[in-house]
Amino acid sequence: MKSRYGLLSTLTAIALFLALETISILLVVEKGVVQRFKVMGAVRSAQSWVWTRTSRIGYYFNYKAENERLTAENLQLRQQLVRYAAARAALDSVAVVVEPDYTFIGASVIKNSVDRQHNHLILNRGREEGIETGMGVVTAHGAIGIVSAVSRHYCYVLSLLGTDQSVSAKLAGSGAFGPMVWTGKQPDQAILREIPVHVTVAPGDTVYSSGFSTIYPPDIPLGTVVESKVSKGSSQEITVRLMEDFRTLHNVYIVKDNRREELEELYEQAR
Amino acid sequence: MNKPGNILFFILVFLLQLVISDYLNLGPWVCLTLVPFLILHIPLSRNPHWVMLAAFGIGLGLDILSAGVPGMNAFAAVLTAAPRKFFYRTLVNADRQDKTEILLLKDVGFLKYARFLIVLVAIYLAAFILLDCVSVQPAGFIAIRFAASTLASTALSLLLAIPLQNRY
Repeated sequence: MKSRYGLLSTLTAIALFLALETISILLVVEKGVVQRFKVMGAVRSAQSWVWTRTSRIGYYFNYKAENERLTAENLQLRQQLVRYAAARAALDSVAVVVEPDYTFIGASVIKNSVDRQHNHLILNRGREEGIETGMGVVTAHGAIGIVSAVSRHYCYVLSLLGTDQSVSAKLAGSGAFGPMVWTGKQPDQAILREIPVHVTVAPGDTVYSSGFSTIYPPDIPLGTVVESKVSKGSSQEITVRLMEDFRTLHNVYIVKDNRREELEELYEQAR
Repeated sequence: MNKPGNILFFILVFLLQLVISDYLNLGPWVCLTLVPFLILHIPLSRNPHWVMLAAFGIGLGLDILSAGVPGMNAFAAVLTAAPRKFFYRTLVNADRQDKTEILLLKDVGFLKYARFLIVLVAIYLAAFILLDCVSVQPAGFIAIRFAASTLASTALSLLLAIPLQNRY
């Protein structure tokens, strides 16, 4: 009787082990499933409350560097504005007023991780501010990630510092483009792949976003070339030093592509 | 250790793990975990079913509260909890089975405690790091990350175990 009970106990332990491991693997594969539970809304609200306050403490200690960064960005934008104003004045007689392709929504980072293989950010903008899943997040110095879940006041962003994330990038000058992915080792290094062998690449060349998606606008400077090497004899793999320091991120912009719906409709029709 | 003391200890270590996950940036090379330390301290009198469920709860709780990829810590925690009794018998002492409510360093000695801890930490980190890195990182990176993380996590757990044994 005792041995039968022992056998039954072992079998149920094995079954429980398999069941728990299967559930865990399913959760890993279906990353978004937990976010869909109603109770997660309350959990995330409580967490966001804590993260908002702790991020303010962190911001207080970094405010000087952040201020300098914003001043530099402001200066760059002013210079661009002057150039655009001059160009617009010249075109005014012939130009047709069109809606801009992108709208930028400012946001603050309240939580950010950089030390995992799949990093993320939490931003203080949500559904009420018009944020939707699939929107890109950028700064003046790089692509940051893609909005993956949205609550009323916050959104969850899959960071570009994730080994399963990529951004379509192009080289200044040649315009050769390919997917750029994080190396997973240094928070400031990425690899630009699939660049044809005949394209000349020099250290220091700038890499920009290509704009070949509805996620990131074109021509955002992403980084500079460190070195290149031929991979599998058919293309170049370029090591890129990212311009944006993900460890000190505070202010970002969420990108709304105003043509997204139209483009998605077009893709649907083409299928 | 009495029951309220047990619960308080688990809550405090879990909160410390949350702070480590959320605010301590050690870079992609080191993953610091206290989950195996928590699993080691689940009372020895508990049956394996209970231990696995508790480990699953700790892991999933950590996944959700630190906003990581849900399931990763849960998977590693259950894999660590399942053979806990076997390793306890093999590495610590079969005779001590069920004699202590919670395993303390002073009861079993540093060497036995440390080797039991390092095995649990290694199982946990092997599962976690493989799940995190497999097919995207080279074997060399995975091996270095595993070794550095095992050393760092074991050292931190031992540091916590010393004041714990003096307290109880």
